[in-house]
Amino acid sequence: MEVRAFSKSYDKNPVLQFPAFSFEKGSVYAVIGANGSGKSTFARILAGVLPGDQKSSPFVSACKVGYMPQKSYGFRMSVEKNILLGGKDRQRAQALMEKLDITHLASRRADQLSGGETARMALVRTLMRGYDLVLLDEPTAAMDIASAALAEDCILDYQRETGGVTLIVTHSLKQARRLGDQVLFFHQGNLLEWGPSAQVLEQPEQEETRRFLEFYGA
Amino acid sequence: MKKKSLLALLLTVAMVSGLFTGCGNGGKTETTAAATEAAKETAGETEAATAADDATTAAAETSAAETEGQAAAGSVNTVILKEADDKMINTYTVIAVDPEAPFTDENGNAVSDVAVNTAGADALIQFLLSEEGKTAAAEFGQEEFGDSLFYLLEDAPAYEGEIAEATEETKTIRLSTTTSVNDSGLLGELLPIFEEKYGYTVEVQSAGTGKAIAAAQYGNADLILVHAKSSEEEFVEAGFARTLEGFDSERLSFMYNYFVLCGPTEDPAGVKDAESVLDAFKSIADGKYPFISRGDGSGTHTKELSLWPEDLGITKEADSFVDYTDWYTSANAGMGACLVMAEETQAYILTDKATFLTFVANGGVME
Amino acid sequence: MPGRVRRCADVEGNKNMQTAIQKAIALILSGDRELCNILLVTAKMSLSSSFIALCIGVPIGIWLGSGRFPGRGILVVLNRTLMGMPPVVCGLLFYMLFSGVGPFRKLRLLFTVKIMILAQVCLITPLVVGNMETYVSGIAGSVRETAKGLGLGAAKTFLLLANESLYEIFSVYLLAFARAIAEVGAVSMVGGAIAWKTNVMTTAIMQYTNRGNFSLGIALGIILMTVSLMVNVVITLLQRRFR
Repeated sequence: MEVRAFSKSYDKNPVLQFPAFSFEKGSVYAVIGANGSGKSTFARILAGVLPGDQKSSPFVSACKVGYMPQKSYGFRMSVEKNILLGGKDRQRAQALMEKLDITHLASRRADQLSGGETARMALVRTLMRGYDLVLLDEPTAAMDIASAALAEDCILDYQRETGGVTLIVTHSLKQARRLGDQVLFFHQGNLLEWGPSAQVLEQPEQEETRRFLEFYGA
Repeated sequence: MKKKSLLALLLTVAMVSGLFTGCGNGGKTETTAAATEAAKETAGETEAATAADDATTAAAETSAAETEGQAAAGSVNTVILKEADDKMINTYTVIAVDPEAPFTDENGNAVSDVAVNTAGADALIQFLLSEEGKTAAAEFGQEEFGDSLFYLLEDAPAYEGEIAEATEETKTIRLSTTTSVNDSGLLGELLPIFEEKYGYTVEVQSAGTGKAIAAAQYGNADLILVHAKSSEEEFVEAGFARTLEGFDSERLSFMYNYFVLCGPTEDPAGVKDAESVLDAFKSIADGKYPFISRGDGSGTHTKELSLWPEDLGITKEADSFVDYTDWYTSANAGMGACLVMAEETQAYILTDKATFLTFVANGGVME
Repeated sequence: MPGRVRRCADVEGNKNMQTAIQKAIALILSGDRELCNILLVTAKMSLSSSFIALCIGVPIGIWLGSGRFPGRGILVVLNRTLMGMPPVVCGLLFYMLFSGVGPFRKLRLLFTVKIMILAQVCLITPLVVGNMETYVSGIAGSVRETAKGLGLGAAKTFLLLANESLYEIFSVYLLAFARAIAEVGAVSMVGGAIAWKTNVMTTAIMQYTNRGNFSLGIALGIILMTVSLMVNVVITLLQRRFR
C-alpha cells in the first residue's frame, strides 16, 4: 500500500513531514515518538479527518481506512447501537464484546460510560469491519492493564483475520514490541527511523532514537 | 448544574425582596411626610417602615398601606376645568377609502390594484348614518354616566335606504380608527348590532389619528373613523377618499363631543376663570404649570397644538418644545396612560370627554 | 398638599399590585370569552412560530456549527446580527411587504395570525440557529472524526449530530417559545391587535397599558407568565426523558 509524500504546517510552521512510503500488507506498524512529534497528526491525515498541505488524499490507490481517534467518543445511544454503527454484524459484535469483556454494558448509554469503558467500546466499534488500513490512536491509553491486554489480543486477532495494514500510535514501548511487526519513530515532525521492530527497538541507528528508547524503556 | 440553580434561586430571592423593599421605601417617605402632618397616622406607619427592610414582613406593610388606600380609592383628583367652548368641539368623521386612490409603495411607485372592500365600507357607513346607528351612538353612555358621550351633529348626513347584507367576498370590513373612539367603548356597542344584523365582521385597528390615516394610505383599511379635520382634509385632498352614492361629500361628519381641559382640583393656573380656552392655555404656559401632551399625532394632540399661544411655536416637531420641557411633557402614549400621568403629576391635560368620563367612572383606570 | 397626593399615588401602587393579582384570578375564574380567545390565539401563534423556527433553525444551526467551508465565519456573524434585529423593525418590514400597497398584497395576509407567525419565525430562527451553532461547534470535532473513522457518510453524520444535540434542542425550543410568547413589537405591527382575531396577550397588555389600566395589564401579565410556566414545565419534563 503506497502513500505519497505529504506534510502539514500551521501558519507556515511545519509540524509534520512524511516521505513517500510503502506499507506492507499483513503487518502491524507501531508508531512511537515523544509528545508533539507528529504521530497523531500523521494518523489523522491518513484517516482523512485532517487535510494535509497537499489537500488531496496521500494514498496512491483507493483504500478503505478505519480510524479510532485518540479521544474515544460515545454517542448518545446504547453501547450496542454504538457498536453497530461500525458494522451491522450482530454476531461479530457479540463476539468482540465478549473478548473485551463489555457484554454487560451492551444496553448502557455510551455517553455515560467511564473513560476505560468508552475506549473498549470504541475499539470494538472500530474493529467491526475489515479495512485495508486501520489506524488506532493510542487505543489502550485510557484502559487499565487487564483491559489493555485484552485489547492487544483483540487487535492481533483482527490483524490475522483481515490481513490488512494496522497502524497503532502508542506511548508504550512494551505494546510496540508486542504488537508491532514494524516500528515508525517520529521525532520533531519527521519520520526519523523505521524498520522491523526488533531492529529499531533493539539496535537503533539514530542517536535520537536511542535516547528516546533509553528514556522510555527505563 | 447545582451552582447554576442556586444562582437562579438567589437572583429570584433578590428580585422579590427588591420588589418588596421598593414598596417599603415608598412607605418610608410616606412616614416622614405623614409624621409632621398627622400624629395619629404615624403609629401604624412607623411600624410598617421599620419592618419595610425585612421582606418577610412585607405582607404586614402592604395591609397597612391598604387601609390608607381605601380612603383614597375611587377619588380622582383631576377634574374638568374648561369645556363646551366652541374651540373645543371634537367632530368625528367617517371616510370611505377609494380603491382608485393614488396608492404608492414606500419607494413612491404607483400601485394600482389595491384590494378595498367598498361594499362593506358602504354598508358600515350607511349603518352609522342610519336612524338605528345614530340613535345607538347618541344613547351610548347615558346608562353608565347619565350623560351622552357623543352628540349627533344637527346637519349630519342621513341614510334611509337599504343596507346590503354581507356576501362571502364583502364579509370582512377593515376599520381604522382612533384610540379615543375605541377606548370609549362606542364601537363595542355599535358594531355587534351591525354585525349581527347584516352578517359582517368588522376588524378594528386603533391608533392615533395620524397612524390610523396612514394605515388607509397603505391600503390596509376600507374606511376610517377619525377626528382631526386638517388631517382628514389632507387625506381627501390627496385623493384617497371616496364619495358614497347619495352623499355629497367624502367627509361624512356625523357626531361630536367636546374636548375638555382637565387639571388638578386646586387649579393653580386658574383656568376655570379664564375667559376662553385660549386664555386658559396661555395662563398654563405663562405660569409654566405642568401639562401632559399626547405627543402622538392623534386628533387630541392636533387639537391641543392649535390651542397654544402662537408665539410659543409649539408644533408636533420635537425641537419646537425643547425649551419648555420643564413643564411641557410630550408623553407619546394613549389617552388613558396620559390621564394616569396627569393624575400622578397633578398636571393639566386636554382630553376627549368620553375617555375622561370613563377614566373617572373607573376610579382612575380604564376598563 | 402635593405630599398628600404623592402618598396616595404610592398607596395606589401597592393597591394596584394586590388588585392585579385578584383581577388575574377573577379573570381566569370568570372564563371570560375574550380572554379565552386571546389565550388561544397566543398559544396558536407562539407554539407554531417557535416550532417552525425550530424546524428551520436546527438543521441550519447544525450545518453551520459542523461545517468547514469558506464563508462560514461570515454567515455566523451575519446570523448573530440577525439575532439582534429589533422586533419592531421586523414587524415594519413585513407590514410594508404585505400592506395593501406592498408587493405581496395579493396574498392578503396582513392582520392575520399567519403573518404574525411568519414575522416571528423570521425573528426567532436566527436565535435557534445561533444557539445550535454554538453548541454543535463544540461537539462537532469529536463526532465528525469518530463518524469519519467508521466510514459513515455525511447524512449519517448529520443525524448523529442532531441526536447528540437533542437535549440542547429542547432548551433552544424553550428559548424560542419564550421569545415568541413575550414578543410584542412585531406582532402588534403586522397583527394589528384586532379583537377576536389577532389580539394576543402582549398586545392586549399594551392596549390596557395605553389606556392607563395598569392593574389589568399586570393581571394579564400574571396569566401570561403562568401559561409560560406551564409550557416550560411540560417541555422540561419531556427534555428529561431524552437526557
